[in-house]
Amino acid sequence: MSKTILTIDDSASIRQMVALTLKGAGLNVIEAGNGAEGLTKATTETVHAVITDLNMPVMNGLEFLRKFRQHPAGKGVPVILLTTESDDELKRQARESGATGWIVKPFKQDQLLAVVKKVTGA
Amino acid sequence: MKLTEPMRALTLRLDDELFAIEAQSVREILDLVPVTEVPNASPFAAGLINVRGRVVPLADLKVAFGMHRAKADQDTRIVVIETEIGSEPTVVGILADKVYDVTDIEPAAIEEAPRVGMRWRPDYVRGIGKRQGSFIIIPDLNRIFETQGRRSAPSSASEERAAS
Amino acid sequence: MSSDPAETFRQEARELLEQLEQGLLDLEQNPADADLVNSVFRALHTIKGSGAMFGFTDVAAFVHEFETAFDRVRKGHSPVTGELVAIALDAKDHVHTLIEDPQSAIDAGVPILEALRALVEPDRFPAAPMPAAKPAPVAEPAAPAAASRWRIRFHLPSDALLYGTNPVLLLGEIAELGPCEITALTDAVPTLDAIDLEDSYLGWQVDLTHLDPTAALDDVFLFLKDGMDLSIEPLVDAAPTIAQLAAEADEVELHAVTEAVALREPEGERTDRATVTTGTSLRVPAERLDELMDRVGELVIAQARLSQMAAHSADPNLKTVAEELERLSSGLRDTTMGIRMVPIGSLFARFRRLVHDLSRDLDKQIEFITSGEETELDKTMIERLADPLVHLIRNAVDHGLEGAEARVQAGKPVKGTVRLSAVYAGAEVTISVTDDGAGLDAARIRQKAEEQGLLTPDQRLSDQELYQLIFAPGFSTAKEVTSLSGRGVGMDVVKRTIDGLRGKIELSTVPGEGTTATLRLPLTLAIIEGMLVRVGNGRYSIPLSAVEECVELPASADIASRGRSFLDIRGSLVPFLRLREVFAASGEPDGHQKVVIVSSSEGRVGLVVDQIIGNTQTVIKQLSKLHSGLETFSGATILGDGTVALILDTSHLVSYGQAQEQQLGRAA
Repeated sequence: MSKTILTIDDSASIRQMVALTLKGAGLNVIEAGNGAEGLTKATTETVHAVITDLNMPVMNGLEFLRKFRQHPAGKGVPVILLTTESDDELKRQARESGATGWIVKPFKQDQLLAVVKKVTGA
Repeated sequence: MKLTEPMRALTLRLDDELFAIEAQSVREILDLVPVTEVPNASPFAAGLINVRGRVVPLADLKVAFGMHRAKADQDTRIVVIETEIGSEPTVVGILADKVYDVTDIEPAAIEEAPRVGMRWRPDYVRGIGKRQGSFIIIPDLNRIFETQGRRSAPSSASEERAAS
Repeated sequence: MSSDPAETFRQEARELLEQLEQGLLDLEQNPADADLVNSVFRALHTIKGSGAMFGFTDVAAFVHEFETAFDRVRKGHSPVTGELVAIALDAKDHVHTLIEDPQSAIDAGVPILEALRALVEPDRFPAAPMPAAKPAPVAEPAAPAAASRWRIRFHLPSDALLYGTNPVLLLGEIAELGPCEITALTDAVPTLDAIDLEDSYLGWQVDLTHLDPTAALDDVFLFLKDGMDLSIEPLVDAAPTIAQLAAEADEVELHAVTEAVALREPEGERTDRATVTTGTSLRVPAERLDELMDRVGELVIAQARLSQMAAHSADPNLKTVAEELERLSSGLRDTTMGIRMVPIGSLFARFRRLVHDLSRDLDKQIEFITSGEETELDKTMIERLADPLVHLIRNAVDHGLEGAEARVQAGKPVKGTVRLSAVYAGAEVTISVTDDGAGLDAARIRQKAEEQGLLTPDQRLSDQELYQLIFAPGFSTAKEVTSLSGRGVGMDVVKRTIDGLRGKIELSTVPGEGTTATLRLPLTLAIIEGMLVRVGNGRYSIPLSAVEECVELPASADIASRGRSFLDIRGSLVPFLRLREVFAASGEPDGHQKVVIVSSSEGRVGLVVDQIIGNTQTVIKQLSKLHSGLETFSGATILGDGTVALILDTSHLVSYGQAQEQQLGRAA
């Protein structure tokens, strides 16, 4: 049975790209446009990994991450953050908030796939 | 016109001549339906018909070719085609006195329309084919609609009549 | 959505740029609003990120610089000024060009960025250099010759499991590097009563055969390096001495798991003024909506036919079903029309930028007030209203509003006011553009009209009729032609567009106090109420919104006579047209001819017909090029009995009637 990945990003074009890439690799993809929507989907549906942007309206990526980790459904689910910088401070913050890993934007499709494979084994 | 393959065409009769319309531009063939006359339109496209809920102009090629127009009878059909008017794809109906069948006309059987001595404007005719001993005229529909389409009578003339 | 992500990006970018513009304009009014600065910043950030993703590298590069400069503002190092907003708006325009027409734009960005940087401060905020990642602790490699077996030991941070790391996958990655033996290290596992099920206590030891796995392991532990214990040592292939074993035992330390997850206080999400409202909405290609409209139109036609059949039938069941269907199709029509309805606010937002630019260009201070943004109109109508409204606003600013001096002299505030509002009025929408400027000069209009031969000196006109002359082609009372207006090209196009939307436009003014242009538009375009009439053997539909009243043609006027054809309708004279003659109808006219009085923004005309049949819902179908040149007809429709009826273009008929009347008036 194929795994389901949740992609959260307020940019429809990025969501589309992520969805296309992952579906091409045989994964299921569900989408959300901001952290709040993402939180709802992540806690009500079976999700094997989450890829989320940081900068979003309504609820940003870090906030989503923290809330997700507090929820029973969020424990142990890999969450990858999409960041535009790779500075240490951000990574530390990310890790402390509960991120499993990160991808630096702009990223190529195979990079995305590699990271998803790494954290889900899919 | 130079063809490499046989032309698949619908043959129809207008007055006493045979015409061929490329089969791929034919959408459907209808029996006569009520025609709404468009006041002040050119006689070439004097009416409108309803084709499956779509308002389609009805054209009479006989006007373009200066042919005699008899009254309609039980053989009369309307051939609904897709053509281009001013590079805009348009659906129009053309009157046919009788519709025959769809046949293939061999490229070898098609000749250029003679520049002079022909009954009609040479620019309206793409070529003349021959089938089973009869001549078949292949009209240049795009050209005909372009030219004739520009001839709607100006409304001002009719309106002047009305205010007097 | 387009299946091409680049196209989706472009669409998205357009929306973001609009948001950006509104945000900047809002910021100008509220320079201290931190939320606005943040939302501007966020928009830039998203465009940059997505731009880079989809190959728009020029865009990403430019926006990066833009963002960097704005970051100073965000951090409070630089204030928001009108100057800044103006340059930022230029920068936004440049981004727009870069996305839509990249060929034309590349060099234009440099001066904008320089201006931006100069404003925000000469020493640019240094971009944080990418620091080298801290290397994982690696033991000194032993003598190269023997280094083909390695001992890797690691303990994950205690929250690793909670945070989604799967050690099995990590071990799997290591195992891919070469043959290995894996052992679990249980020394850190506490007693049962102290175990927290979510924590990670296990460690692992992997003895791996590999040339030098350091780099590969960097990759495996990419996300964990900084928080975990990791040791990589070459193994000497000899059997370990007891001393070595003991030494190894010492190296294994018990880690007290002390990292507390420091949860920061959430920063309190404040709702920004320019937030995107992500409700549950759906993006649908416009063509699908049009298709849907067509289907609904066809349904309405078919239902009308059924109703007609039911009316002639004695079957009560048929009648009931027909009634039900009529109710349902009417509801469906309303809902579908509703989908095409879009708030006019989207259009109003565009004008803020226009007024802002006009204010700078003309050096006039302007207060731009809008109301009724939530008023909804048909989508196609909104698009067609854009140009006319731009013209009207330009006129108001350019010609209506006086310069600062003149205003002060007149006792008015220096800031001129332009008000744009939209409101429902029955089955119509009323949109008005008001300015508090000098008002229309009736004498000047009159003079200009006489100069242009539109009026004779002794011709008497009401004020309203006089103002309508402004809409005549070529008319302009502007003393000078500015680059913005005054060429007289605008107003007649405005009127034609409004007429094309089956609407009306009126002007009213109070000299010295201001002018108002009022547009009245019907609410829907594609399906309208029509009055069906018969002229000779043909039936025609007249849009009900244009119909004022119907009267009988008095016998005195029935006698065809040369000279004026007028009806006296309660004191005013209305010209009439005999449609039988316009349409060259055959046969004899009916005994009592009827007159349908229709109006447009230009006036009224009576249309003489044989019979008035009744009102029907009319689905408007466009005429093909073969007939679209006939100005008398604006379209066609299909009646209940399946036949086609032409729809009369009442605006044109009124114009014609008015023109006739004037010609005859001159001749008399």
